[in-house]
Amino acid sequence: MTTRLFYKLFGTYLVIAVLAVVLAGFFIERELKTGLTRWIEEDLMAETQIIALMPEREIEKQSQTLAERSRARVTLIDARGLVTLDSNRQTKDLDNHLNRSEIQESRVKGKGTATRYSQTLKMDMLYVALPLYEGSHLKGYLRLSRPMLEVDRSVDKLRFSIFQVLLLIIILSMIVAFIFSMKVISPIQEIEAFTDKIRRGDVSGMLMIDSRDEIGQLSKNINDMVAELQERIRVANEEKWKLRAAFASMAEGVMVLDSQNRIEGLNKGMAEMIGREYADIVGKTPMEAFRNIALQDALNRFRQAGEIVLEEITLGDENPMILDVNISSVKSLPGQDPKTMIVFHNVTRLKKLEQVRADFVANVTHEIKTPLTAIIGFVETLQQGAIDDRVKAQKFLLTIHENAQRLNRLVDDLLTLSSIELGETKLHLEGLALDDVFETALTLISPRAALKNIRIQREVQPGLPRVCADRDRLVQILVNVLDNAVKFTPEGGSVSITASPEVQESIVIKITDTGIGISKSELPRLGERFYRIDKTRSREMGGTGLGLSIVKHLMKAHEGSMEIESTLGKGTTVSLRFPVLKKIS
Amino acid sequence: MEEKRHTSREYERELQEIKNGLLYLGAMTERAIDRGVKALLERDSDLARQVICDDDQIDKIDVEIEEKCIRLLALRQPAARDLRFITTAIKINGHLERIGDMASNIAEKAIILNEVPQIKPYIDLPRMADIARSMIKESLDALVHENVELAKKVREEDDTIDQLNEQIFRELLTFMLEDPRKIHASLYIMQISKSLERISDHAAGIADMVVYMVTGKSVRHKSSCESKE
Repeated sequence: MTTRLFYKLFGTYLVIAVLAVVLAGFFIERELKTGLTRWIEEDLMAETQIIALMPEREIEKQSQTLAERSRARVTLIDARGLVTLDSNRQTKDLDNHLNRSEIQESRVKGKGTATRYSQTLKMDMLYVALPLYEGSHLKGYLRLSRPMLEVDRSVDKLRFSIFQVLLLIIILSMIVAFIFSMKVISPIQEIEAFTDKIRRGDVSGMLMIDSRDEIGQLSKNINDMVAELQERIRVANEEKWKLRAAFASMAEGVMVLDSQNRIEGLNKGMAEMIGREYADIVGKTPMEAFRNIALQDALNRFRQAGEIVLEEITLGDENPMILDVNISSVKSLPGQDPKTMIVFHNVTRLKKLEQVRADFVANVTHEIKTPLTAIIGFVETLQQGAIDDRVKAQKFLLTIHENAQRLNRLVDDLLTLSSIELGETKLHLEGLALDDVFETALTLISPRAALKNIRIQREVQPGLPRVCADRDRLVQILVNVLDNAVKFTPEGGSVSITASPEVQESIVIKITDTGIGISKSELPRLGERFYRIDKTRSREMGGTGLGLSIVKHLMKAHEGSMEIESTLGKGTTVSLRFPVLKKIS
Repeated sequence: MEEKRHTSREYERELQEIKNGLLYLGAMTERAIDRGVKALLERDSDLARQVICDDDQIDKIDVEIEEKCIRLLALRQPAARDLRFITTAIKINGHLERIGDMASNIAEKAIILNEVPQIKPYIDLPRMADIARSMIKESLDALVHENVELAKKVREEDDTIDQLNEQIFRELLTFMLEDPRKIHASLYIMQISKSLERISDHAAGIADMVVYMVTGKSVRHKSSCESKE
């Protein structure tokens, strides 16, 4: 209400009203004055004419009465201009009046008027003069004069009432101006408040101004604009959320660096990849956050070349991750500093698989090559004549046979392994009594144990439920594990095999030896194909390096599990967990 | 320096560059120690030679960082915190460079040791190397996070290294007394152990500098008399 625009508008109206009234007053007063003057003039003239009809002597005689009746000063002037009679003054005091303008005018035109400051009476006077004739002879002039004061007085009297009326007009126009100003101002105020609300970010609602003028049009435009704005914001938000969702759900880690090379943001994938301890990396430089030379080198290279950089880095000390890093610049809005985007792709598993495959090929060829070399070597020796030496030939042939058998075992194991891996091995699952199975396995392994003077203890808890397994495969598993136990236990040691029930409907077979044990760092790698802890010794013992790998895969096929615990120098325990045969089947 | 932004972005960038340079150098020394010891354990002389080559790179970065610090001192006239940071950076830089040299020394000895049969399994040496590495890492972590507590913890780890060094010394002494043929190798192993011990001293020095940088108080030079009691 007390806005400046209101004052401007209201003030302008007020000034216009006052100006108009003052101007009107001025003109009215002037008009009034001239009207009144003319009216008095005519009045005076009429009286003069009436008096002029009277004989001169009568005028002289009754000059006082005439002056009173006509409320005027009556003056008689002869042809030479000498004042012969004056109702108000002594004639002798007065000078020649012939050159007065009203006298001159009356002499020429027959009547004359003039308004002038009278030196005699010291005030504004209105003079009317008529020439007096006797026949055609000019005898003198009759002049009547009345003070102008009378006009002023009546104008003054009128002026007050005019002023009152004008004041009333001003007050009325003020009220009108106030109402009108308010009417103009209030929608503008409304628009102002609404736009301010929008500026503060609240784009809801719309203007309700019912008007057909420009202000109405303006509010309509603003409403349209806000609607447009709402739509645009909605679209932008949608885009933003879409992008954010994509960004968040990406498996790859994404990190954005600002122009100062500080980490500006990272997605969920990235946070998960690098773990919780790095959650506070925002605002730091990559060097501060990761302390990784390879990453920094890649960033430096990117900064120098300005091209996309692809690099493979290893991150982390304890569990190193191999990451494919892709560094590129983010196209930013004009005027903004360029940003850098780093995409991390975790390829640790792929790399590991690659490594396993490469190792496998290298191992297989190596394993095959060794007996083959021996066979070829001995065959060549035989060819070169050793065949004639019966004793030696016999020995060589034995070696060739041994190596050929080893080759055969290797190929058998490989075939078994691959058929289990491919899931081609059909398991004939049945309920097996462990006592019986242990018997079979131990029969196979006892001769080897006896050679090293190793005692084998067997303990099966009475009343154990039957396990659900394929008989031949189970024997194979036990033989493989027992074989290892016997192999790595020094002479005079002992191996025990026990079976006991476990809670979740499973039976655990434990095979414990008093062997050399396995160091902690090696444990996770057991079961990898061709993985040998002590490469030379194991091969001497005739292993193929596939034993545990086969066990591991067979256990998986039986939906069981294998755990190995070991203390270096003390011995190893292999726990095999089998499911119990369900009663129904 | 994260909290308060400098008016001049350029100035801030330069400070950050020095910090990053130190971290880079730190990571390089860590890698050098790691590889130097690995070269010894796996008897990989090629890796050892690689470590010695990499030391040139460490030296180069050392010179670069020092130049940057001096340039900044001359051109920007840093005050208070920034001044402390830069003087600290110069010192840390020196420590790291020395650590690099030590790692290079270890690699040189490893090459020599790889020529002769291994006299004993290395168990304590890799432990020492691990601790020394983590000390460097932690002292630089303390620099990044301006964490005084972590810096003080680094100083404590130094004692473990000293004990391990003692232990190796005694062990090697018995080896040498038993079999004079092992003296040659033992002396080199002892030098490696000594190098690792020196590395840990430098790492503790870095941690002390971090404490100084953050608090403005010097914690170096404990009284020698007291520690002997």
